[in-house]
Amino acid sequence: MSSRRTAQRLARILAMLPWVIAHPGTTVDEVCERFSYSRSDLFADLNLVLVCGLPGYGPGELMDAFVDEDEVVVDAADYFSQPVRLTAAEALMLLAGGMAVLSSGSGPPALESAVAKLQAVIAPDAESVAVDIGSEPELASLLRKAASDGAVVNITYTALGSGDTTHRDIEPWAVFSTLGNWYVSGHCRRADAERVFRLDRIREATTTAQTFDVPESSPVPEVRYSPSVDDVAARIQLSPTASWVAEYYPVNIVSDGPEARVIDFSATDPMVTARLLLRLGATATLLSGDKVAAATDDLRERILARYL
Amino acid sequence: MNRVIERVLNLLAFLLTVGRPVTADEIRHTVAGYDQDTDEAFRRTFERDKDLLRQLGVPMRMEHTDAWEVEQGYVVAPDEYALTDAGLTDEERTALWIAATMVRLGGQAAGPAAIFKLGGSPALAAGEPLTADLGAEGESLADLFDAVSTRRVVSFVYRDKERKVSPYGLAHRRGHWYVVGGTPAGTRVFRVDRMLKIGVGDKPGAFERPAGFTLQDELPDAPWMAGEDDVIVDVRFDAGVAWWARRQLTSTAKVTEGSDGSITARFPVAQVEAFIGWLISFDDQAEILGPDEMRNRFVDHVTAAS
Repeated sequence: MSSRRTAQRLARILAMLPWVIAHPGTTVDEVCERFSYSRSDLFADLNLVLVCGLPGYGPGELMDAFVDEDEVVVDAADYFSQPVRLTAAEALMLLAGGMAVLSSGSGPPALESAVAKLQAVIAPDAESVAVDIGSEPELASLLRKAASDGAVVNITYTALGSGDTTHRDIEPWAVFSTLGNWYVSGHCRRADAERVFRLDRIREATTTAQTFDVPESSPVPEVRYSPSVDDVAARIQLSPTASWVAEYYPVNIVSDGPEARVIDFSATDPMVTARLLLRLGATATLLSGDKVAAATDDLRERILARYL
Repeated sequence: MNRVIERVLNLLAFLLTVGRPVTADEIRHTVAGYDQDTDEAFRRTFERDKDLLRQLGVPMRMEHTDAWEVEQGYVVAPDEYALTDAGLTDEERTALWIAATMVRLGGQAAGPAAIFKLGGSPALAAGEPLTADLGAEGESLADLFDAVSTRRVVSFVYRDKERKVSPYGLAHRRGHWYVVGGTPAGTRVFRVDRMLKIGVGDKPGAFERPAGFTLQDELPDAPWMAGEDDVIVDVRFDAGVAWWARRQLTSTAKVTEGSDGSITARFPVAQVEAFIGWLISFDDQAEILGPDEMRNRFVDHVTAAS
């Protein structure tokens, strides 16, 4: 018996009871639909409630819970007439989710009033929570429509690492925002593999007449970088002001001290690491990694050439 | 599982109605289901049940059972237990639920428990595509949210310094979570993913928010715009990256187009480090035209790099 499943079942009972008490005459179907119950699970929970109550535990102290001609009846359970308050995590999840979708400009009209009502109850100070994921880029609606229609889209894409611009036919699956950037995931016909593209790097996109079979459920896209064997490795020493790099990127921490943190940083393209090093300036030192050192020198020279 | 649920329902019913603090001993002898043979078995069972109630969000606290303050008892006050009715319609519940499933926070999407508490939804359709991932800092965010909504002081380590901050607001903007809060030096913005050893004070209502506080005004439009001492810069972006620069420049930037497809943008910069970092993402396709002081800082920064 897992305590998580016990908690979920108990949570549902403590939410269902107040609703039934507040809505006399509600039917089995209504309760099942509203709380995602199967009929047998609902009956099992009502039977359980029936044997609980207050000390003494006689007929006068136990709760009443039964089904009468398809009507759900709960009685003598006044103490459970209110749902449990939301935990901080639950409240934040609902509020942040609602605000995020609103800020992207893709929420239904009821979402705005729902967020306002919820905020009034759980975060009474005005202006105490704000979530802005940035409005959806114009491309998003074209790609979403293509994803649901199963239309292949031709994109002009500039890769982040190499700066190369390519034309690709993609089968878009989902458009989403992660850590401040918008992406489209899908099958790239050019690479014949699953790929994730940053929307702000797609210069142009046109829906083509070609179609594809929309996958029943597309895999949850993961844009966080995962290391592979072909990666170019570098060992970097970070001063305290640059130590955030170790939290921001998936790196291996080799050693950690108050004055310096040493990490192993891998990337598919040495230019990615070179850009990071130039960005960190004097707050980081490259300890080893020939390819990265060469890429960094090359990039530095090219940049400084403009300032001579 | 049934026995656990029965016992916990009985415990909760008792605590909600008894109207005074009750000791563990009294619970053991009064509430059905606590007939364990040994003290140790009872203690373990009771601890697990308390933990279960805590997971559900039931606020349980300890109070002295009498004026002599000899013994402590458990209290679940009905007014603290109950969720204030938000007055949501079914349509609004469904909208909230769908939005919550479209967003991941702390690596996961919302479970239905929260929407059940709000009255469930007749349309719990699953399978909405993910729209936004709001980052990984799930647990510390819940603590910070609690501190903001109950006005508790938070302490944390930030850039190697210990801080005590009155959190006025919690905000997510373009990929990062921020706490905006009062410090002895005035209102400051802190990035949540740089905060270490976060602790939340015990006392609710520990501070007042400044009159007229607005969260939006405190947040930077772009990472390089947080701060007061603006420097106006002119930057040239070559034709190949002009489209990309345009997408990232905020509305405060004045953009002039060149005949070769390049653009020159004039905009304010307050966070020089963030600005330089951003500029490097354009490789050698961008150049600071002025002021000279900013050009020199950029050159120094790039030269000093490893």
